[in-house]
Amino acid sequence: MKACTTEKTLQERTRGTAGPKILVFSCRWCSGIGADDAGRKRLSMPTGFRCVEVECIASIDPDIILKAFSEGAEGVAVFGCHLGGCRYNRANHAAAKRMAMAATLLETVGIGAGRLLTSFGTAHEGYQFAELMRRFSQRIETLPTLTRKEARDWRLGG
Amino acid sequence: MGPDFVKTICPYCGTGCGLILAVRDGRVVGCSPDRGHPVSKGALCIKGWTAGEFIHHPERLTAPLLKKDGRFHEISWDEAIDLLVARLRETVGRYGPRAVGGLCSARCTNEENYLFQKLIRIGLGSNNVDHCARLCHGPTVAAMGHALGSGAMTNPIADFAGTNFILAVGSNAAETFPVAMGELYRAREKGAQLVVIDPRTTEMAKNADLHLPLQPGTDIPLLSGMMHHILSSGLENRAFIEQRTEGFSELAAYLDAWPPERAAQICGVAPELIRHVAEAYAQAPSAMIVFCMGITQHACGTANVYAVCDLALLCGQVGRPHAGICPLRGQCNVQGACDMGGLPDVLPGYQKVEDDWVRMRFEAHWGAALPKEAGMTVTAAMAADDSPIRAAYVMGENPVMSDPDSRHTIEFLENLDFLVVQDIFHTDTTRLANLVLPAACFAEKEGTFTNTERRVQRLRKAVQPPGSALDDLTILCRVGRAMGLDFNYADSAVVMDEIASLTPSYGGICYRRLQYKGLHWPCTDFDHPGTAVLHQKRFSRGRGLFVVPEYRPPQEAPDEHYPLVLITGRMFCHYHTGTMTRRSPSLHREVDKPFVEVNPKDAERRGISDGDRIRVETRRGAISTTARVVPKVAEGAIFAAFHFHEAPADALTNNALDPVSNVPEFKACAAEIARESACPDR
Amino acid sequence: MTLDTVRKIARDLLERNTVKGVLGLAADDAGVMPRVFDTPNAVAVLVLEPKWVLAKITMTVMAREPDDYRLAVVCRGCDERALIELGKRNRIDPGRLHLIGVACSEAQAKQCLCQRPWPSRVDAGEKAVGADLSQSETIRQYLGADRPVRLERWREAFSRCIKCYGCRNACPVCACDTCKLEQDVWAKQGEIAPDMLTFHLMRSMHVADACVACGACQDACPVGIPLLLLQLPMRNVLRRSYNYEAGTETERLSPLLSNYIDEPSHGISIPNWTDSLEEKPWDLIS
Repeated sequence: MKACTTEKTLQERTRGTAGPKILVFSCRWCSGIGADDAGRKRLSMPTGFRCVEVECIASIDPDIILKAFSEGAEGVAVFGCHLGGCRYNRANHAAAKRMAMAATLLETVGIGAGRLLTSFGTAHEGYQFAELMRRFSQRIETLPTLTRKEARDWRLGG
Repeated sequence: MGPDFVKTICPYCGTGCGLILAVRDGRVVGCSPDRGHPVSKGALCIKGWTAGEFIHHPERLTAPLLKKDGRFHEISWDEAIDLLVARLRETVGRYGPRAVGGLCSARCTNEENYLFQKLIRIGLGSNNVDHCARLCHGPTVAAMGHALGSGAMTNPIADFAGTNFILAVGSNAAETFPVAMGELYRAREKGAQLVVIDPRTTEMAKNADLHLPLQPGTDIPLLSGMMHHILSSGLENRAFIEQRTEGFSELAAYLDAWPPERAAQICGVAPELIRHVAEAYAQAPSAMIVFCMGITQHACGTANVYAVCDLALLCGQVGRPHAGICPLRGQCNVQGACDMGGLPDVLPGYQKVEDDWVRMRFEAHWGAALPKEAGMTVTAAMAADDSPIRAAYVMGENPVMSDPDSRHTIEFLENLDFLVVQDIFHTDTTRLANLVLPAACFAEKEGTFTNTERRVQRLRKAVQPPGSALDDLTILCRVGRAMGLDFNYADSAVVMDEIASLTPSYGGICYRRLQYKGLHWPCTDFDHPGTAVLHQKRFSRGRGLFVVPEYRPPQEAPDEHYPLVLITGRMFCHYHTGTMTRRSPSLHREVDKPFVEVNPKDAERRGISDGDRIRVETRRGAISTTARVVPKVAEGAIFAAFHFHEAPADALTNNALDPVSNVPEFKACAAEIARESACPDR
Repeated sequence: MTLDTVRKIARDLLERNTVKGVLGLAADDAGVMPRVFDTPNAVAVLVLEPKWVLAKITMTVMAREPDDYRLAVVCRGCDERALIELGKRNRIDPGRLHLIGVACSEAQAKQCLCQRPWPSRVDAGEKAVGADLSQSETIRQYLGADRPVRLERWREAFSRCIKCYGCRNACPVCACDTCKLEQDVWAKQGEIAPDMLTFHLMRSMHVADACVACGACQDACPVGIPLLLLQLPMRNVLRRSYNYEAGTETERLSPLLSNYIDEPSHGISIPNWTDSLEEKPWDLIS
C-alpha cells in the first residue's frame, strides 16, 4: 500500500470505494508489512481505507487522530509493533497509553471509542490485517453517524 | 514587588465587560476577566482577552504632528494647541460657526465627550457636533426617542436569562456581542425560543430555533405582516394598548394592507413562518426584541425601528422585566457619547438645542451663549454638494474607513481648509490631517463608559500614555483654556459632577457611587439606585406612540451591471476600522487579510473558487480581495467585513441616507464581482 | 473564621519577612481583584471570594522576580494542585512559594463538582465532603446519556463557541509558549464556531494528564459549554489505570510520559492485549 500524498484528501482518495473511510497509520516494521501482505494476497476486506506508513507508531499522537477525523475519516487505525518488540525502546508503550486517552475522549463526546482502533503486533500476517479491517469496519457502522445535519453548519468531516 | 492589578472596562463593544489589567514597570503585561463583574461574570471574548496587546505597540502616536510639504513633523503641544485654536477661530471668523464641525468619539469617555461638545458649542459657537452613532444607531435614538421618549435599551442584559422568547432582527450578536450572546444562550437553556431574522445564515442564526432569511432591506414588510396577523387573530394586548399607548388606530389602518401573503412576496419568507413567529412572540409570557445594524443601516432605518417599537407596543412586550426592546449599542461608549450630547440637535441628556428653556439653563451654567439652530449631521455635511464645512476637529474617529463612499469622504476631508485629528494611532483619516494630536487609550485614563444597557461604569488608569501623548480630557481642557474658556477641571470626577448637575438622567451619578457595579441611568439623585428596566409605569414620553413605518426598498437595487447586493458588517475577531485589533498580534493571526463572502452558486457562475482573488466593484469604486465561498450568504448577495484598510468595504458603499437620522445604507447597495487570479495556496 | 485566619497568617508571614508578598484577592471600591499584598497593613482588605484560580497569576508574578523573592499564595485545593503540576513542568519553582491552604465549603465543592475541595495542608477552613457527581444533572446529560444523545449534546454545546480562547487562557496548567491552537495547519484560524475536533478536543487532549479539575475553563466560557466534564473521564482513566491524579504528587510525572515497565497500567507491566477491538462497556462518570 502506498502512502497517501499530501495533495489529495482522504475524501478524494476514497471516493467510490466501499466501506467506511478509514485512515491507517502503521509503523513500517511490523504492521506495515502485514498490510502490504494483505494487499498482495488480494484478501477480501473493505476497501475504504488508505495507509500512512511511519517509522514508529509513537510519532502518531492524538492530535493527528483528531485531525484525521476532522478531515473526513470515519475511523482511524493505529498499528504498531507488539508491546515487547519496539525497536525504538518501548516507544510503542507511549503510543498505547496515549491512544487509550484519545479513545476515552472520543467516547466522552459520543463520537465513539470504537472509531479508533489500536493494534500492536499485528500482522506479519496479511490475514490478521484483513480480519482487523473487516471487524473494524463493522464496528464503525454501529456507531452514531458523523455526517453533518442539514440545518447546522457544524464541521466534522468537511 | 509583584505586578499591580487594575480593574477597568473593555474598550471594544457595548457589552462593557470587566477587565483586569496586570501592570508591571509601567507596562500592561496581562489582561484577564473580572470574575465578579455583574455583566460579564468572568468571561471575555477574544477581543477582550487581547485588549492589552495594542497598548504598547510601537506605532502609537507620541507627539503632536504638523503636516508640512506633505510630511508630518513633530511639534510641541503649545504650538499645536495654539495653531488648532487659531485655525478654527479663523474659519469661524471668515465663514461663520456653521463652517466648523467636530466629531467626538464613541470610544472616549463620557467626560471627554461632554467637554468636546461643550467646547464646540461655546468655544466655536457651532452645533455641528456628531459622532459615529450617526452611522449605526442614529435611527434608534430618533425612532425610540420619538415613540417611547427614550432611545436606549429598555432592559438590562441580565433580563435575557429570564425571558421566554427572543426575536433578533438584524443582529449577529454571536460575533459582535459575544459575551452578551452568552446570556441569550443561557435563556435558551432555560427554555426560551430564539428566532433570528437576517439575510445571512450567521452564527447566531445557526444556533437559533428558527431562522428567517429575508431579502435584504425588507424588514418592514416582514414585521408588518407579523403585526397584521397578530391583529387579525386577536392576539394583540388590548389592555396595554388602551392604557399605555396612543396612535393605535393609524397603525391598525396601515396594517390592513399587509397580510402575510403580501409581506411574503416582498421579503421572501413563507407566510406560515411569518404567522408562526408572530403568534409565538405575541403569546410569549415575556419576549425581548434584539436589534442591531441589520435594520438601522438602511435608508429607511428610522422607519425600521418604528416597526420594531410598534410590534412591541402592540403586544405589550415592553415596560417590565424580561420584556423589552434591546438595541445593541456597538461601541464601548456610543451610548455615553449620545447621552453627553455629542449630536447636532441635542445637548447632554437629549435636551433639544432648539428649546429656549433648555438653552437658557445651559447658558446660565456654562456662562456663555449657545447657538440656536441645530447643526448638521456628519453624513449630511459630507454628502452635500455644497457643504458649508471648511474645518473639522475629529476626536477618536476614522471616517475614511467608517463612512460610506470613501472616495467621497477623502475628497471632502482633503478639501477642508483645516483638519485636526486626535487619535492613538495613525489611521487613514489622520493621514489626511493638517494636525494630528496623540491621545491616550482606555488603559491610560480615568473616566466612565456607558454600556448598551445604560450602565455607567468606571475606567481606571493602569499605565501612562506613551511619549508626550495626553488623555483626551487633558487635551480638551488645554484647548478650551486656549480659547479663553473656563476649562479648569482637576480630574474626570469633577467633570462628571458637572454632567450630573445638568443632565437629569445622570443626576445621581458620581464616582463615589459607581464603585464596581456602576449605575443604570436614569439615576436622578444621589439616593436613586439607578433604573434597570425602563418604562415600567409610564413611558418616558407618557404613552407609547404607534408610528406608521414607511417602507422603502434599498435605494440602490441590483441591476444588470451590478446584480449582487453588497452587505457590509463585522466579524468576531476584528473591531470596526481595525485601528486597534489589526495591531493586536493574536487577532491579526486569526484573520490577517480581507475577504468577501460569496454564495457558491454565484461563485460557480463566475468561475470563482474559495480563496481566489476577486475584484468587487460598485458605482463608487472597486477593491481587490479574497473570496470566501460559503453558503452562509444567500444567492444574490455578498458580504464584506469593513475592518481592512487595504480593501476597504467603504470604498464601495453608498451614501444613501435615511432622511430622518441620516444613517447611511451600509447594508444594501449594488455590486458585481469578478475573478482576478487563482488562490495562491493551491 | 476562615477569613480572619488567612489574614492573620498573611500578616505574620509579611511581618516576619518570610515572604516578600502574599498573592490573594483584595476588595475595595473597585470590587474584588487579585493583589500581591506586600505590607502587613495591606492585608486588611484581603478576601477569599469569589473563586479565583490564582496559579497562572502566580506564574506571571514569579516570572520576573529575582531568585530570592518568595511569594505566599492563598490557595484552594485546585490552585495548589495546579501549582504542583506547573512545578513539575518547570514553569515555576515551588521552593519559592509558601502556600496558605484554604479548604472550600461544601457548597463551593458542589458548584465546582469537586471531589477534593481541600489543599494538602489546610491552614484555614474545614475540610468539606466532595461533591456527589451522581446528583449532577449536567453530568447525567453530557456523560451519562447514550452515545448518539451525547454526540448531539456536545455538538450543540460546541456550536455555541465564540472562539474567545477563554478556556485555554484561564486554564492554570495550560502554559505553552507556542500554542498549537494558533496554528492554522492544526486548527483553522479565523472562523467560528471552531471545529470541535481540532480546537476543543485537541485542547482537551493537551491538558488531559495535567488537568486538576479546577473548572476555570468552564467559568471563563461565555456560552456555558460544560468543559470540565470533558476532562473527567480521562482523569478517571488515569486514576483507575495508574492510580494517578494530577497535582497530588510533587515528584511523580504523568504516566503517559513513560512506558509500561516504569508506570504500569492496572499494575500490569506489559498488557497482553493486542488490539482494541473488544468492545468493553464504558462508564464515563466514575
